[in-house]
Amino acid sequence: MSSTQHVLLSPAELAYLHASLSLTPPIRPDGRSPSQFRPLVAETGILPGTNGSARICFADGTEAIVGVKAEVERTRLAHDFDHNTFAAGSRLEGDFVEGSYAADAQVDAENVNEEQRVGDDDWVELTVEIPGYRDDDPGTVFLARMLGEALLADGEFARKLWINRRFHWKLFLDVILISPPLSYPLPLLSLTTHLALLSTRLPRLKSEGDEDPFFDDDWAAAPFIYSRNSSNSSSSSSSTTKDGKTSTTSRPPISLLVMAVGNNIIFDPSKEELAVADVALAVSVGEAPSAAAARGKDAMDVDTTTQDGLQRNLQILSVRTIDPPSRLTPPGVPNATNSAYGAAAVVASAQKQPEARAAESEAVEGVWKAPRGGARARVMAALVLEVLGRGGVADEVMDALDGVDLV
Amino acid sequence: MASIKRSLESDPFAANIASKVYVRSTKSGKVQKIVREVYLRQDIPCSSKLCRACLKTAPKDAAGRPIPFVLSDRPAGTSQFPQGHYLVPDTNAFLNAMDLFEQSSAFYDVVVLQIVLEELRNRSLPLYNRLVGLTKSEDKRFYVFFNEFRLETYIARDDGETVNDRNDRAVRKATKWYGEHLARSQPKGQAPAVVMLSNDRDNLRKAKLDGIPAFSLVEYVKQLKDGESLLDMIPESEDGELSKDKRLGEPIYPEYFTVSKMMTGVKAGLLHQGIFSVSPYNYLEGSIRVPAFPKALVILGRENINRAVDGDVVVVEVLPKDQWKEPSTQVIEEDNITKNENPDAEAGDDFVAGKERKALQEEVKRTHSKTTEGHAQPTAKVVGVIKRNWRQYVGHIDQSSVSQSAQQGRKQESVFVIPMDKKIPKIRLRTRQVGELVGKRILVTIDSWDRGSRHPTGHFVRSLGELETKAAETEALLLEYDVQYRPFPKTVLDCLPKEGHDWKVPESTDDPGWRDREDLRNLLICSIDPIGCQDIDDALHARPLPNGNIEVGVHIADVSHFVKPSNAMDAEASIRATTVYLVDKRIDMLPMLLGTDLCSLKPYVERYAFSVIWEMNPNADIVNARFTKSVIKSREAFSYEQAQLRVNDASQQDELTRSIRTLLALSKKLKHKRMDAGALSLSSPEVKVQMESETSDPIDVKIKELLDTMSLVEEFMLLANTSVAAKIYDAFPQTAILRRHAAPPKTNFDELSNQLRVKKGVELSVESSRALADSLDACVDPKEPFFNTLIRIMATRCMMSAEYFCSGTQSYPEFRHYGLASEIYTHFTSPIRRYADLVAHRQLAAAIEYEIVDPSVRSRGRLEAVCKNINVRHRNAQLAGRASIAYYVGQALRGKATEEDGFVMKIFSNGFVVLVPRFGIEGLIRLRDLADPEPVATYDAETYTLTTTGSREITVELFQKVRVKVTDQKDETTGKRGVKMELVRA
Repeated sequence: MSSTQHVLLSPAELAYLHASLSLTPPIRPDGRSPSQFRPLVAETGILPGTNGSARICFADGTEAIVGVKAEVERTRLAHDFDHNTFAAGSRLEGDFVEGSYAADAQVDAENVNEEQRVGDDDWVELTVEIPGYRDDDPGTVFLARMLGEALLADGEFARKLWINRRFHWKLFLDVILISPPLSYPLPLLSLTTHLALLSTRLPRLKSEGDEDPFFDDDWAAAPFIYSRNSSNSSSSSSSTTKDGKTSTTSRPPISLLVMAVGNNIIFDPSKEELAVADVALAVSVGEAPSAAAARGKDAMDVDTTTQDGLQRNLQILSVRTIDPPSRLTPPGVPNATNSAYGAAAVVASAQKQPEARAAESEAVEGVWKAPRGGARARVMAALVLEVLGRGGVADEVMDALDGVDLV
Repeated sequence: MASIKRSLESDPFAANIASKVYVRSTKSGKVQKIVREVYLRQDIPCSSKLCRACLKTAPKDAAGRPIPFVLSDRPAGTSQFPQGHYLVPDTNAFLNAMDLFEQSSAFYDVVVLQIVLEELRNRSLPLYNRLVGLTKSEDKRFYVFFNEFRLETYIARDDGETVNDRNDRAVRKATKWYGEHLARSQPKGQAPAVVMLSNDRDNLRKAKLDGIPAFSLVEYVKQLKDGESLLDMIPESEDGELSKDKRLGEPIYPEYFTVSKMMTGVKAGLLHQGIFSVSPYNYLEGSIRVPAFPKALVILGRENINRAVDGDVVVVEVLPKDQWKEPSTQVIEEDNITKNENPDAEAGDDFVAGKERKALQEEVKRTHSKTTEGHAQPTAKVVGVIKRNWRQYVGHIDQSSVSQSAQQGRKQESVFVIPMDKKIPKIRLRTRQVGELVGKRILVTIDSWDRGSRHPTGHFVRSLGELETKAAETEALLLEYDVQYRPFPKTVLDCLPKEGHDWKVPESTDDPGWRDREDLRNLLICSIDPIGCQDIDDALHARPLPNGNIEVGVHIADVSHFVKPSNAMDAEASIRATTVYLVDKRIDMLPMLLGTDLCSLKPYVERYAFSVIWEMNPNADIVNARFTKSVIKSREAFSYEQAQLRVNDASQQDELTRSIRTLLALSKKLKHKRMDAGALSLSSPEVKVQMESETSDPIDVKIKELLDTMSLVEEFMLLANTSVAAKIYDAFPQTAILRRHAAPPKTNFDELSNQLRVKKGVELSVESSRALADSLDACVDPKEPFFNTLIRIMATRCMMSAEYFCSGTQSYPEFRHYGLASEIYTHFTSPIRRYADLVAHRQLAAAIEYEIVDPSVRSRGRLEAVCKNINVRHRNAQLAGRASIAYYVGQALRGKATEEDGFVMKIFSNGFVVLVPRFGIEGLIRLRDLADPEPVATYDAETYTLTTTGSREITVELFQKVRVKVTDQKDETTGKRGVKMELVRA
C-alpha cells in the first residue's frame, strides 16, 4: 500500500489546486480552514467478543474497524534476568516458578515498585489489513510499523501489560480497513486504534505478587487499560487532582497526516489535496507523563487556574515523511517548450543541449511540476507549534475523541 | 472535528436480545472474554395451574400434549396469606436452609428462579443437586422458572452494580412479575401471594420499598403452623449480626491462602493437594496422601489441621524439618480432652486448649528423647481448602454441654453435637429444643467454620429417634454410610414386568424370550448358598462327558433380561450400586420382585440364566469355555451345611450328590492351583449375630464356620469371573468393566514386618503376592493357632482395596488382581446384588452377539463414572455391614459380662488395642482403666512393650494373648453404648 493514489487530475488542475493551497490563508477545495478536520462517525464496543473495539467512518467513505484481544502469556526468563536480580541466577534455564515462589520471593513480590514493571515491545502485535493488498505489501507493513512505533514509543504502553514478574498480557491489535483505500488511511487507522485502545479492558487481577494470575470473572469489574479519570474534559477540578496522582499517560497516541504546500500546513488532507502536496508527514502525538505532576504542587496550582482547568502535556513521538502521490504526477508543459505552440525546434535543440534541460525544470508560474526535496525547517517548526500548541490540532482531535462514548 | 455515535438503541431487535459477558479462565491458563447472546422470549410459562394466559403458549411435548403445570391451584396459606401463597426464595435462602425446603410439613409450591439455581450451583454443588432433586419430586411442587430468558423478568446489569446486587434485583423483579401476572388472571384478592424469601437484609428492605411481599426465613417460618420446630433448621448465620459481636475474639486459626496462591504453589510443587483424613485413634492427627510422596504426610495439632474436616480436599505445606514428628503413640479422644468445654463461651476455654497443648508437648518430648532421628516423619500444615466435603452427620448432643435451665425452656442455646464418626470434630449447634433432642440420634450439618471459632457451627436437620433403638441406629448407619434406603420410586417399579410374581418362562420356545437361549432344563443344576438366602444369584452343575472330561456349568441369574439399559430401574440400580446387608435388614439394589423371585434361581422353577460352561479334564484344566444365555431349572437349593452333610454322607449316591462331589474335587484342585500362583488367603474377623426369631433381638454371637462347600462355590465363581473378564476384555479392549487389586506399596508393610521381626523373629517378605503368601503361612505360633489369623487380619489392613475400573484407563499389567493372583478379573456372578456384574452381563451378551452393544456399556466416560460410584458404594456397604455387626454385638452383650481371650494388636503409650476373636471386636484399654490412680507407664517403641509400675504392675507386649472381661457400658456423658474391655490378666 503506498500513498500514491492515482488521481485523475490534469497538470493544469494540479497547478491550480497547488496555487490555491499556497495562498495565505490557503483556499481548500472543500472550503475548510487549514487545520479543520472533516466530520467522522465513530463508535466503540462494536465487537462484543474483543477486549476493546472501535469503528470510525470518514466523510470520504473510508471506514476502519479495530479489535483488541488480550491473552495471558508467560514472560520469558531472559527478561527477568535483565531487570531483576542475579540472586535467582542459579536457576538459569528453569522456569521462574521454581525460584521465585516460596516465602522469600513472596516478600520480594511485595516490593515490586513501579520501576520494576517493565514492558516489552514484543507484547504488542499489530496487524493491518487493507483490502486488495497482501499483508506483506511494503505499504501495509510500513503502516503497521508506524502505528506500532507511536504506540510503543515511550514504553508506557507495554508497561500497562505487565501482570507480574512471570506473566504479562499479550495484546493483539487487528486493524482492518473495510472500505477500499480511497485515500491514505493512516489517520483513519490511527484514530480507530486510539479509540479501540481507549475502550480496551483487561480482566481484573485477583491474585497477588508473582502467583499464577487469577482473574475476576466479572467483566464489569475489568478496568480500562487507559484509566479514565482524566479523559473527560468536562469534569474539571476533581479530575486534575486525580491527574496529579497518576503519572502515566492516560490515552494512546494518535498519528495525524499533515501536508505542506509552500509555507502552508494543511491538516487532514483530502485525496486531491494530497496530490499536490510538497511534503506529506505522519506526525504521532502522545500525552507525556504529566508535567504538572513532575513539577510538583505549586506548579500544578498554576495549571489549575488556566483555561478550563485541564492541561494536556503533549509531545511529538515521531515524524515520518511519506512519499506524497504528487511525486508521480505528470508535469505540465510550459508554453515556451510546447511544440503545439510552435516550439518544436526548441524541444529538439533542448535534447541536444544539456543546459536547455535545466531550463525546463525551472518553475514556471501556473505550470504543474512534481515537487522535489524534503520538508523545510521552517515548515517543521510551524508544524510543531500548530500541533502541540495550547488548543492546537492535537488538543482538538483528542477533545473530539473524548466525545465518543466508550462502551 | 465532530463525532457522532450511532446508538445501539436504534436497533429494532434490541429489546429481545441481551447479552451476558463474563471472563473465563481455562485450566491451561487462558483468560477469555465470553459473550453469550440471550434471546428473550415471552412463552415461558409461569406454570401455575391457576393461570390461563400461559396455557396457550406453554411448551408441548413430542406428542403435542402440553407439559403439565407444576404449581398448585390451591396453595397452602399462612397466617398472613390466607388466600395461599407461592414462594420465591433467593440463593441465600437455599444456601442457609436447604433442609427446611426438604421438609414435608411445609414449603410447597416453590418457584426456583433460574438465576438462583445457577448461583447455587456455583456456590455449592451438593446443595444444587439436592435442589434439583426437589424440583423433580412431584409432591413438593418446585418449579424452575427461567427468569433470565423471559422478556418481562430479564434485567440488565446497571453501571457499577455488583453481580450479587443485580441478581437480587432479578429475584425481586421476578417475584413482582409473578405476583402481578397471577393477579391479572384471578379475581381481586384471590390470587395467591407470591412471597420472596431471603436472608439478606438489604434485599428484604428493597423488596419492601417496592411493595413486594418478602420475609426472612425466621419471619416466614414463624407464620407456619408448626413453625417452632422448624426454627432450628435455620442456621446460625441467619442472626449473623447478633452473634458476630460475640465472637470478636482473637482468630484461633491461621488464615487460608488465596486460591491463586495455592494453585501456583501446587503447580510449582511447593504445596500439595490431597484428601485430608483423620486418624481414627487421635482426632488431632491427620494425614494426607499426595502424589509427590510415596508416604502420607502427617498433620499434627489443631492449628496445623486448620479447620479441615475428614474428607475435605485441602492444600498443605510441608513444615520445616525441625517440626517433623513421629506419629503419635497416644490415643487422644476428643470427648475426653474437651469434655468440659462450654459451647457458649469461646474465650473461656483456655483450660481445654491448655490440655490439648500439653498433650502435644508430651509428644515433642518423646520425639526428642529418641536417639534414632530417622523415625521422625515429615509433617505438614493445611493452608487452604479446595473443596469441602461436608455432608450431613449423625450424632447426639453432648449431655454435659447442656445447661440445666435449657432442659425445659424454649430458649435458643448452644450445645455440642458429638458425631458418630470419631473423625469428625464436635459440632456447635444452636437449638431451641435441647430438651427434646437430648438422648436422641440426630442428623446435623456443618454450616461454617470460621477462624474465630474452635469448633465448626452447624444446624439441626432432623431427629432419627431415641438412642439405641433399633430403628434409629439402623437409619443412623445408613445415613452415615450414605446408603440409599428410601423405597423404590414409582418410576422404577413401572419398569418391572407386568405379570408380577406370576411371570414365567414362556412355554413356547418360539417366544422372543427364547431367542438364542439354550435349553438347559434337563441338566441337574443346584444352588448352594447361606441359610435363608432368597436372592440366589448362582447355580452349578457338573456331568461327565464321554471323552472322560467333565462339563462344568455356572449359571448366573439373567438380570440383564429384566433390567434394560438406561431405564429408570437401571439408573436407580447404578446409583445404589450394591445391595447392603445389615444384620437385620437388607437394602436391595433391585426391587424385591426381581431380586428374590423373578431373577433368583429358585429351585423347581424355570428361570432365565446366563451360563458359563467349561469342559475340564480331571486335573481341572480348562479344555474350552463357552458362554450362553439359557433357561435352567434348578433341582435343589442347598444351604452350605446341607450340601456339606450330603457330600459327607456316603450313603447318598444319587446323581446330584455325585455331581456335587465332582465339583468339590475339582474346586480343591482349582484352589490348589490358585494358591500355587500366589493367591493370598486373607482374613478379617467375621462373626455372625444370632437373632431370636420372633423379636429379632440379638442373643448370641458366633464366629462364621468355614465349610468345604463354601470354597466350592467360591472357586467356581472366581473361575467364572476370570473367564468372563478375559472374554469381555477381548471383545471390548477399551471399555470392559474389570476389577483390579493393586499390589500394595512396600511401605505399607513396614510397620507390620518390623513388628514381626522384633516380636517373633519372622521376616515378612512382600516382593510378590506369592512371597507374601508364603511368609504369611510361615507366621505360626505352635502354641497359639489364632496367631496366624491375627497376622492375616493385620496384613489385610495393609492392603490396597480392590476396585472396579474400565479397561481403557489402565495398562494390561495393571489389571492384575493381587489378592487372587489373577491376571484379569471382573465381577459377573452376583448381578442381583452388584451393579458391576450387571454391566459385565451386558458386555458379555454383546460379546457373544446375543444382543447389540448398548451405548451405555460402550461409552468410556460413562463407565468410568459408574465405576467410581460403585467403588464408593461398595466400600460404604462393607463399612455399614461391619458397623451393623458391631452394634449388634454390643447389643447382644448387653447386661452380660464374659471373660474372653484377646490379642494385643496395637500399643500406644497410654493404652493398647485388644482384638477378641470370639466376638470379632476390637477394644481399647487405657492405662487409666487399669487401676486408680493411673499407673505410671513406660512405653518402649523399639520392642513394642508397655510396662506399668505403681498401682498396677503389668507388662503388655504386641501380639500378646491376654484375658479380658468384656462388658457393655454406656458412657453417661456421651450417651454411647459401647463394648468395654477390662484387663483380667496380661
